[in-house]
Amino acid sequence: MIRSIAKKELVSTLRDRRFVVLSVLMLALLLAATLVGRASYRTLQRERQVAQQTVNDQFHHQPNRHPHRVAHYGSFAFRPKAGLSFLDAGLDSFTGTAVFLEAHQQNSVNFSQAQQASSLIRFGELTVAFVLQLLVPLLIIFLCFNAFAEEREAGTLKLLLTQGVSLRRIAWGKITGYGQAVALVVVPALALAAWLLLSNESFANSPDAWARLGLFGLSYVVYFFLWIVGAVVVSARQQHARTALVLLLGCWMLGGIILPKATANLGANLFPAITKAELDAKVHEDAQKGINGHDPQDARSAALKANLLKKYKVDSEEKLPVSVGGLVMAESEAYTAKVYQQHFATLNHTYERQNALTVWAGLLNPYQAIRPLSMGLAGSDFAHYVHFQQAAEDYRYQLVQRLNALQTSMGYGDKERKLDAATWRAIPTFAYEAPVLGWALGYLVGPALALLLWAVGLSWLGLRAIDKTSIV
Amino acid sequence: MTYILEAKELRKQYPNKLALRGLNLQIEPGEVFCLLGQNGAGKSTTINLFLGFVQPTAGAAYINGVEVASNPLKIKQYLAYIPENVMLYAHLTGVENLALFSSLAGFRYSEKELLEYLANAGLPAEAVRRRVGTYSKGMRQKVGIAIAVAKHAKVLLLDEPTSGLDPKASNEFSELLRRLSQQGTAVLMATHDLFRAKEVGTRVGIMREGELVDVRPTATLNANELEQLYLTYMQ
Repeated sequence: MIRSIAKKELVSTLRDRRFVVLSVLMLALLLAATLVGRASYRTLQRERQVAQQTVNDQFHHQPNRHPHRVAHYGSFAFRPKAGLSFLDAGLDSFTGTAVFLEAHQQNSVNFSQAQQASSLIRFGELTVAFVLQLLVPLLIIFLCFNAFAEEREAGTLKLLLTQGVSLRRIAWGKITGYGQAVALVVVPALALAAWLLLSNESFANSPDAWARLGLFGLSYVVYFFLWIVGAVVVSARQQHARTALVLLLGCWMLGGIILPKATANLGANLFPAITKAELDAKVHEDAQKGINGHDPQDARSAALKANLLKKYKVDSEEKLPVSVGGLVMAESEAYTAKVYQQHFATLNHTYERQNALTVWAGLLNPYQAIRPLSMGLAGSDFAHYVHFQQAAEDYRYQLVQRLNALQTSMGYGDKERKLDAATWRAIPTFAYEAPVLGWALGYLVGPALALLLWAVGLSWLGLRAIDKTSIV
Repeated sequence: MTYILEAKELRKQYPNKLALRGLNLQIEPGEVFCLLGQNGAGKSTTINLFLGFVQPTAGAAYINGVEVASNPLKIKQYLAYIPENVMLYAHLTGVENLALFSSLAGFRYSEKELLEYLANAGLPAEAVRRRVGTYSKGMRQKVGIAIAVAKHAKVLLLDEPTSGLDPKASNEFSELLRRLSQQGTAVLMATHDLFRAKEVGTRVGIMREGELVDVRPTATLNANELEQLYLTYMQ
């Protein structure tokens, strides 16, 4: 019975010129978004790879220098684009792409696409995720708003029911049929995405990328399912198709536009975050309490020097086998890094609390459940961004401390000497390893559960409501 | 005796109207019972109660001995229904509509059988593969008849089935009802058409303000007597 009704819905839908036109437009948008997203991904990825290679070469080809000059010469870490970010750019356009790595200073990640783009980016980009999250639900609304209401108005519902079919089975048949119609629009775009992934050797052999794509697709299956169920239930509970359409469009606006903005504003007001300038000021203020590597008169530097003389049982700095300056720099760097990490953790905690509000909002609004899930699986969410920031900071710290260790090993009078250029070529450059899916899933349990809860809850409650639908 | 259709003290109270006041009715297999009455007399409510589409306030309706209200799905296997205006799926063809409704009722027919049902219902051969959206009311009614016949139901519930049909189509419809009646199908038909009621009915019942005020075998009345009787009650 369900199969017969599903087939009827699919055939009727495909013969409906309005749906065909809408679907072709939607499919074209999806395919365009996939291709444009992929092209943009390739351009940005190539730019960043070239930039990273250039700064790495420049770092390796420094002349004979003192290690601390090398530490200040520094390097850059460019954030590689995540493999699936062409499907969902997430926060990528707004978060920075490059960070300058140098001694004593934890710089922010700068040069976001939004900074470099025109104001048009404020209107949002045409990404596959945008089409899937907001436009496909609109298509579903136009497809399903009259699922029951029109049958009731036309009188076909009575005829269906007299054949011995329950309202619930009719609903499942309709849900299946509409699901197949939506699949005809969405599957080609995801198939294209899979083919594009396959064309990239590094992704083609990456089970992680395929698992992410699989879960990405699955998440949207659940998302569309609950939109279809919701639309069918609303259609069944409303006497007129027009009322059902208005109600569903209201839900779309509330869920897709109003609630996300309200939640973001609420989060920012409940858990205010400090600005980058305030963070820098706080780090600077607290760092003053540690050793200042560039101040020879610093009392704590003097104490360290005294301890060294005692340790090596010598009476002057000249007789020390190590450079006091190098050790002071290392101490200073360790202290500054510790201070920075503390403030960074506090700031991230604030962001996490803001984000947690969004996760909770996913229980009220499925759009706010699919959004973090989609971004997380595409590797373009806040957690992935912080992972990069942390990796860059870890590398910066290791690099600077390695250079401080080189300076220390140069002994007394190191400032008058330089190390051979070959020394820099032995230092590994920044190579970012994006986190694996298992790591990302840890952040996505909340949104995934919210989405599942929506799907199960809506099916259960909605179909119970359909059972009680008035027929005449 | 087991009646194929039975109403016992069937009552339906809507929020602002008492639509049916304790209806008692028994219909045997092969009988064609015509319910006559003005609009709002309770004819359609009676049909809807037998279909299980509305719940009775009191009393019970039975089809083949099975109570309708507590077995709304089971009783559907015994009945077929043709409304005043048969609405079908406009994007499907006549034969696709028949195939769909038959499959939902549990009957899988070959293409040839489906075409036969449609032909027997009087649908022109050139129309069977056209989308129903292009059909006239009479053509849709014929597909509705084919759907009802293809279900092989024991009971046929009809709500003003000949309303708006041309005389030829009405006549064909009457002929079909007679044929089904001879095969043992019980028919309960709500109608305003006294002529058709006299022609095909075995009994007529006159309803007024939710009450079945009179029941007569059609054999005991001629057309004029039936009209006079009807008008008397409608005054």
